[in-house]
Amino acid sequence: MLSSIVKPFAALALAAALISIVLAALGASPIGVFAALAGGAFGSWYACVDTLVKSTPLIFTGLAVSLAFSGALWNIGADGQLMIGAIAAGAIGPHLGDFPHLIAIVIILAAGALGGAAWGGFAGWLRARRDVNEVISTIMLNFVAIQALSWVVHGPLMEPSGAYPTSAPIASAAQLEFYFAPSRLNLGMLLAIVLAGVCYLLMFNTSAGFELRAMGRNRRAATFFGVRIPALTVWVMALSGALSGLGGAVQVSAISHRLYEKLSPGWGFEAIAVALVARLNPLAVVPAALLFGALDNGSQAMQRTQGISPELVQVIQGLVILIILAFDTPAWSRLREQIFGDDEQPAVPAVAALPAA
Amino acid sequence: MATPILLAALGELLVEESGVVNIGIEGAMLSGAFAALTIAYFSGSTALGLAGAIVAGVAINAIFAVLVVNLAVNQVVTGTAVSILALGLTGVFYRKLFGVTGKAFMVAPIAKIPLGPLARIPLLGPVLFDHNPLVYFTFILVPALWYLIARTRYGLRLRACGERPEAADALGLGVIATRWQALIVSGALTGLAGAFLTLAYANTFVENISAGRGFVALSVVIVGRWNSWGLAAASILFGAAMALQFGLQALGTVVPYQLFLALPYALTLVVLAGFGGQAAAPSALGEPYRRQ
Amino acid sequence: MLRANAITKRFGRTLALDGVDFEARPGEIHALLGENGAGKTTLMNVLAGSLAPDGGEATLDDAPLLAGSPRAALDAGIAAVHQSPMLFERMTWEENLALGGFDQAAERLDLAAVATRARALAAKLGFELPPAGTTVENRSVAERVRLEVLRALSFNPRVLILDEPTSVLAPSELNAFLDLLRNLRAEGRIVVLITHKLAEAIAVADRITVLRRGRVVARTTPAETSEEQLAELMIGEIVIQPDAGAARRHPGETVLQIENLVLDDYPRRRILDGISLRIGAGEIVGIAGVDGNGQTELVEVLAGVRQASGGTTTSDGAMAVIPQDRDLDGLILDMRLWENMILARPLREQATSYGWLNATRAIDLCRELIERFRIQAPGPETLAGALSGGNRQRLEVARAVASQPRVIVAHNICRGLDLAATAEVHRTMLDFAAAGGAVLLISSDLDELLAICGRLLVISRGKTRETNPGERDPGRLGLLMAGARD
Repeated sequence: MLSSIVKPFAALALAAALISIVLAALGASPIGVFAALAGGAFGSWYACVDTLVKSTPLIFTGLAVSLAFSGALWNIGADGQLMIGAIAAGAIGPHLGDFPHLIAIVIILAAGALGGAAWGGFAGWLRARRDVNEVISTIMLNFVAIQALSWVVHGPLMEPSGAYPTSAPIASAAQLEFYFAPSRLNLGMLLAIVLAGVCYLLMFNTSAGFELRAMGRNRRAATFFGVRIPALTVWVMALSGALSGLGGAVQVSAISHRLYEKLSPGWGFEAIAVALVARLNPLAVVPAALLFGALDNGSQAMQRTQGISPELVQVIQGLVILIILAFDTPAWSRLREQIFGDDEQPAVPAVAALPAA
Repeated sequence: MATPILLAALGELLVEESGVVNIGIEGAMLSGAFAALTIAYFSGSTALGLAGAIVAGVAINAIFAVLVVNLAVNQVVTGTAVSILALGLTGVFYRKLFGVTGKAFMVAPIAKIPLGPLARIPLLGPVLFDHNPLVYFTFILVPALWYLIARTRYGLRLRACGERPEAADALGLGVIATRWQALIVSGALTGLAGAFLTLAYANTFVENISAGRGFVALSVVIVGRWNSWGLAAASILFGAAMALQFGLQALGTVVPYQLFLALPYALTLVVLAGFGGQAAAPSALGEPYRRQ
Repeated sequence: MLRANAITKRFGRTLALDGVDFEARPGEIHALLGENGAGKTTLMNVLAGSLAPDGGEATLDDAPLLAGSPRAALDAGIAAVHQSPMLFERMTWEENLALGGFDQAAERLDLAAVATRARALAAKLGFELPPAGTTVENRSVAERVRLEVLRALSFNPRVLILDEPTSVLAPSELNAFLDLLRNLRAEGRIVVLITHKLAEAIAVADRITVLRRGRVVARTTPAETSEEQLAELMIGEIVIQPDAGAARRHPGETVLQIENLVLDDYPRRRILDGISLRIGAGEIVGIAGVDGNGQTELVEVLAGVRQASGGTTTSDGAMAVIPQDRDLDGLILDMRLWENMILARPLREQATSYGWLNATRAIDLCRELIERFRIQAPGPETLAGALSGGNRQRLEVARAVASQPRVIVAHNICRGLDLAATAEVHRTMLDFAAAGGAVLLISSDLDELLAICGRLLVISRGKTRETNPGERDPGRLGLLMAGARD
């Protein structure tokens, strides 16, 4: 147990060290950059709240990725699923003006979840029925989703004046309101945290969740004991997509109130880092998402004061993933046993990606 | 048009025949593109730019190789991480070196080398014989790689590693060394593919210029059924689709141009779903392998 | 002279080889005997260069062999035929052999020349080769063994090490194989035969070395020893075989009925060809067969993993299946013992109420299981991968019995276990049958089948045939397993 907390911190520390080298090469001061990041993320009450807001989509996508990865379903398409969910929300949102507030919220969020579920479920179906590797299919669907979003904001859903490539604003009944204005704190965060708890219970306290994890660790054995792999695949991918889609709907409902291109700055990929730092544990996804949300938030301050572009955060993401994977391998297991004493499962199922069955 | 995709795909073919799937190909392409442009810009030499692209591609693949070949880590997640890393690194260095001004700076494109009288054949001439050296190189590479993989001893060894690595090692074929070799060569080819984007195609760099072409290369390998000639055909198909979008945007037709941008990706899905694409893959593709 | 000096090798917490000295001369067949897990395969891997030892070294003619390099071993003239398949399925057999020694490093790869050289050698050995240009994929198990031996011989090795080559051969093919070994010996080569079959070792070896738990416990010759003595050396004590008489009582009502089961593998092969059998309560019925005649697929169909193409299976109550490949199919090594336990649905249901899976309850259940079946493990939270082979098998058997099925289907259940563990597993099966359950024991081990089975069937090429009591001797059964029809 101890080791599962220490490991992510060690990985982050190592990433920080490597980043410092990169920063030095760029002529920037590592201390200054980290200070700017921290300050931008937590330096003021407003900043802290904004960090929470920026973490929310990461919780949704982080949960989506954790769920799928636990079953060795390599869902790289959380971005696309989020976008389709957002499209669904943005399409139905403007028409919800006459509904009571609560109903409108439920409808817009449900639309997002269903949209994402369809997108993810489709990839799951392709895997289950057509043996199409989900890595490729979800990546492809990401790009299709990007084009779909581009199309709708330039075409069918374009706002009436036709001047800007965005969709019509959603009805105010369907908007998640802000608390503590001018902060943008909204109920989306609470929903995300609650879902984290639900996902945890699902994964560890239900038979279906157990079957999911068994499928992820050893597909053949799972099949031998009656786990219906094809059906489970479709359900999990649909659920994963639904979570991301819900995140997209929350973004539209609470923050952007409309659709535009480049809706997702890469949350679906960042979610992989989040999921790995959380070791695929839904409860741990929340603090992991907060961490990366803080980095995202602080990166703008970092750009202003240190002149380093926000892409540095992506460097951090990539490094963190690589470091966690590198030290998770059996190659280090003897060393791990000596330091930590216990025997611990590898975070990510090492099961193969591509072979059929 | 189809050249960078095909070039990267050919590199990936080598890698996948040896049993590894490299999602980091997108990152290698982007790094190659960036390195080529930066070095060409500051040194004034296209050749140095190409060299830089090769080094960058190899470096990115080397990071991938250490984790995936030596440490036998999950290949998919590692590849994705490498791509994210490359995206971030190129973005950061780009801003630092060239500022946020958005001023489009240009580099002289690679000179074309028309092949004399052949280039003057009506219709076919310009299409086939009037290109820059990278395109010719890619043309030659297709049959060359086919021969290498299907007919030589080295190709046999490569395929053995991708088929059953334990057996290959027991025969002294050196799986780790072979996979490293494939990744390095692929890194060079992918880097060159990226260089094509900046030095020959756009003559400048924008963030994420590769725009998913690396991933398209992955699907080209699948749609082409792990066969050089198939890869060539698929690349031309996909390249054409991507090129059509400009024409359509200009025409302003009813058909949305986004459809054509989405075409390569949708097509990949159709081929995979409809034609049992996975069966032609090397048996051990994607499985982490470690010697005892 | 092939020599191994003081070889030591550890895997994690297990000491596989503990200061082993071994020596074999030219013109001799040297048998390396030992139970599974004694370290024979590990020693072979060290000699063949696949494994680097933690201590000690191997020499050939007093020249040290580079540790951990198969290439070096091959160059020095050591070729090995491994127990697990080492062919490249999707390549043609010519390509497989080209990766051996038939390919001269001269210039271009010439598969036709490889094929010619291969045919020459095969003719000399009395081997048949597959049709030109075919892939290895669909070839039979015996053909594969032949191809691997051919490939090993293509290196013209001075030392040939074979790891359990006869375990997949039909009894009728055995003599031809032993003659092959004698021919190789006559050519002055060193032949190391790794086996756990005492009769074979005594029949063909010049010298015998016995390993037990990673140590050499005896060096002897066939003249100086006997099967009983070798068995005792291998396991350390005489184990009383459980009394199987109980298994031969009158069976009760039918609990498993298989009717005309057919399985086709598109587009060519018929894997199961109309299998029918009936098992009654209290019976232990055996199916004897050489690996690769449809047993694995039959087990998969019974487990519900594969759909039969025709025919029915009816069982009166739950069925528990213990698959052959325990690490791949039976257990999830990355998961804890209690999680492995609840893979079995009946046990999972015991820990579940109203859809809520109670981990604590499952852990307690697992602890009980560990005690009852004496599984050597630190506790229910241990990872399955940390258990030794024997204990993993105990876990699987425990899980199968504890889920209280009416029928247990067990496939090669004692493969890889030492005699003591084997006796224990057989005891468990007999107890289960005595309590009214039924057991379908599918195995290639005639000793095991003859020891505890009441009725015995033979499977060959997907067809089963019930044997009558008069046919229960290894010779006759061997013939039937090889496909004799009368």
